[in-house]
Amino acid sequence: MAEESILTDDFLRELINVGEVDILIGVPTYNDAATVGQVVQAVRAGLVEYFPRERAVIVNVDGGSRDATRDLVRAASISDLQRVSDLHALRTLHSISARYAGDPAPGTALHAILTAADLLRAHACAVISPSSANIQPEWINQLLRPVCRENADLVTPVYCRNKFDGLLVRNLLYPMTRALYGRRLREPHPAEFAFSGRLGNHLLAQDIWSQEIGQIGAETYLVIQAVTGGFRLAQSFLGPKLRIDQAAADLVKALRQSVGVLFWALQQHPLASATNGESQPIPTNGPEHQVSVEPVRVNRKRLYQGFTHGVAELEPVLSSILSARTLAELRRAATLAEDDFRYSDELWASTVYEFAASYHKAVISRDHIVQALAPLYRGRAYTFLVENRDAKGEEVEANVEALCQTFERLRPHLLEVWDGGK
Amino acid sequence: MVLASPQDTLWYKDAIIYQVHVRAFYDSNGDGIGDFLGLSQKLDYLQQLGVTALWLMPIFPSPMRDDGYDIADYYSVHPAYGNLDDFKAFLAAAHQRDIRVIIEMVLNHTSNQHPWFQESRGSRDNPRRNWYVWSETDTRYRGARIIFLDTELSNWAWDPVSKEYYWHRFFSHQPDLNYDNPAVREEIWKVMKFWLEMGVDGFRLDAVPYLVEREATNCENLPETHAILKEFRARIDKEFPGRMLLAEANQWPADLRQYFGDGDEFHMAFHFPLMPRMFMGLKLEDRKPITEILQQTPAIPESCQWCLFLRNHDELTLEMVTDAERDYMYDEYAKDKGMRLNLGIRRRLAPLLDNDRRRIELMNGMLLSLPGTPIIYYGDEIGMGDNINLGDRNGVRTPMQWNGGWNGGFSAADPETLYSPLLLNPVYGFQAVNALSQARFDHSLLSWMKHIIKVRKSTPVFGRGSIEFLYPANHRVLAYMRQLGKETVLVVNNVSSSAQAVELDLRRYKGNILIEMFGRNIFPRIGDLPYLLTMGPYQFYWFRLRRV
Repeated sequence: MAEESILTDDFLRELINVGEVDILIGVPTYNDAATVGQVVQAVRAGLVEYFPRERAVIVNVDGGSRDATRDLVRAASISDLQRVSDLHALRTLHSISARYAGDPAPGTALHAILTAADLLRAHACAVISPSSANIQPEWINQLLRPVCRENADLVTPVYCRNKFDGLLVRNLLYPMTRALYGRRLREPHPAEFAFSGRLGNHLLAQDIWSQEIGQIGAETYLVIQAVTGGFRLAQSFLGPKLRIDQAAADLVKALRQSVGVLFWALQQHPLASATNGESQPIPTNGPEHQVSVEPVRVNRKRLYQGFTHGVAELEPVLSSILSARTLAELRRAATLAEDDFRYSDELWASTVYEFAASYHKAVISRDHIVQALAPLYRGRAYTFLVENRDAKGEEVEANVEALCQTFERLRPHLLEVWDGGK
Repeated sequence: MVLASPQDTLWYKDAIIYQVHVRAFYDSNGDGIGDFLGLSQKLDYLQQLGVTALWLMPIFPSPMRDDGYDIADYYSVHPAYGNLDDFKAFLAAAHQRDIRVIIEMVLNHTSNQHPWFQESRGSRDNPRRNWYVWSETDTRYRGARIIFLDTELSNWAWDPVSKEYYWHRFFSHQPDLNYDNPAVREEIWKVMKFWLEMGVDGFRLDAVPYLVEREATNCENLPETHAILKEFRARIDKEFPGRMLLAEANQWPADLRQYFGDGDEFHMAFHFPLMPRMFMGLKLEDRKPITEILQQTPAIPESCQWCLFLRNHDELTLEMVTDAERDYMYDEYAKDKGMRLNLGIRRRLAPLLDNDRRRIELMNGMLLSLPGTPIIYYGDEIGMGDNINLGDRNGVRTPMQWNGGWNGGFSAADPETLYSPLLLNPVYGFQAVNALSQARFDHSLLSWMKHIIKVRKSTPVFGRGSIEFLYPANHRVLAYMRQLGKETVLVVNNVSSSAQAVELDLRRYKGNILIEMFGRNIFPRIGDLPYLLTMGPYQFYWFRLRRV
């Protein structure tokens, strides 16, 4: 049976009309009418202002929206039929929308974007989240300029985050990526990023797209490929990141898309090649970090309860994943009163590394391993909130740096448990 | 002698106009300068090309500090070109070949060597004092821009003879006439009448927006200017029906519209804003600049016509574009700053297009199929080059290249005595590019130009028909329908350097067969589905629609 193409006939027809481009901006959507209009208009303004001479296209790959998402994207075109009174564009800007084949999935959307970029021979590409309603036109410049003008292959964002936002990134993704790959990439699972056509084609050629990893975690895998493949990296400061409602977020899904991909990617690269030296900074346009400290409501109790219940309920599972020593420390921590409980940096780093090793050895279902991390992560998140409750921005950043150094220092533990015992 | 052929008062709508500088075309007497007798000898060439009207650049006596646009005598011809009898003989010979003749008429200003100015500056009491615009200060009319930015710092010049300032919108040696003075208007009418009685078929009126000045305005396109022009037109229509007035007004389309009046001012006007956008669209590989400016172009009276051109004797003007567009054009077409002059680019068609035959053909294809009367600049039909080292705009006014022999066949004079050096380089030099060589081959640019002009003349649709743009999703394709009565022509242009596929919505014409007009081959019938065409780089089609 012939393999179904990711490009529908309509999508292909739209690409034919666009032709070769210098810049492709991908916007993956699924029922994002509430915000996508603002997003594409900011993208359009950014392209007209900062890249007026480049041939550009906005490509919306949609998972089957039932709202006005696709119409809003199409309305962003600039042509001889569709003019914008406050934007004088030198050339046509297509803003196309197409349904990609298959079920809605972020990785599948990225696959469609990469395929389109390849067919249109785009030199520089960016992916913009449709929910980044606070996007400014300058983001386009910040993300694409290093690719277009400075030969960068991957540009990831640096945000000004509230100290209680981005906990998964601060406590796990950033420290672990930094420790294992030796590069201080602040956002290893970025919502918006830019990349060269060269990197895009490299990822497109990987044999991941028919696997789960290709459907749910392709963005993170792209970042890892860039870091391990000798591609030129850069970061750009974009400004504030819109807060996500933590309570509404699906933690297990987020872990699958990020941590699960990290664990999986470790299988692809010999662990011995992981860096031994100190991690290196990445060229950054703008500040490397910025923390805002305005008060936000967080439900620490819920996190603590999630941790304690999880440890209790998942005891059999955790005993097959963690070393006896780590498990014992966890049990002891789980018995402490809420005010006394702390998930220390060392314990957390050890936990994560032992999970990674167990994933590698597939001691149980790998998906269950990732799921089992959820309550432990809640405990770590609780600790972070408590320790930084009154902290200023620099102090928060110092705490994150300390955690990163702990991850780097405990790398030998990962090597020890990787193929050996617990 | 007036043209004997049937008087179609709208003849200019079907015309193929050829712009020529007498000085540059052919030298009959070996003095190194082209002349009327020489031009007469080349009328057969022009007739074979398919030209139906000639526009002669200034032929008047002049100190030639602005290539003849500084006129010193309106009632004669420059002695280097011959005499009035030579001109009359040329006129008769042109008319015998059904070629009309339009001459340049510079109304706005004269040379400072003109006797009128010499008298005017003589004293403040001279009867011709008010024939020009004098002032004790140089602060009047501050709203007027300077046109020749590269050479002039002010629109006022101090006259040491009469100790006052005089007004000049162009070079300082070209003082503006004062059109508020009825005597000036009457004299200019006499000038026009002189040439019309001789048999010329029309005038290209130079620099018409600037005739009248008023404080607190930009001194362009003023109502008083239009009133004067309408007066001239009324007199021409009454005494010389069928003669034509062509406006040189480098303005935005909305301002240009005024020059047509209600069909009672100019018959034709140059569409200046379109021209740079054709070049821009080609470089951008995007039809948007072209369609947008034509969308902004207002409808004009039925008897009126736009004049379209690709290049002319002046710099490729970038006055009527935005700053960003001008920067783009400079970066793409004039990387060498020596190519830039005033607000424009002083290059010929072929060098601008990198001597790419496909692009030259495409641009000419658009010139000859968009709505308007096309003007071909002398030498562009054979792809002549330019010499930017000659200063001012002289690099695009070099001698016509007739053959590969002595002086390119232009003149028998010693090469050092030519009014301008010939082009000698291996790419554009006269031995590589000349009319004789190209006439010998069917596939030369000259032969191609003859063919496309013939195809254009095969139907009145191009000169008199309406235009409706199709807007295919592929922005690299410019497509439009030309229609006149029952005749419909589809024009499709690929403005990109790569092959393109385009789907055209032609459902309204369902059932028609397309007949490609150059090869006259049949293309599939139009049905319900989008009409798919595949096109090579810079390729264009002209299809006649036919229902069988």
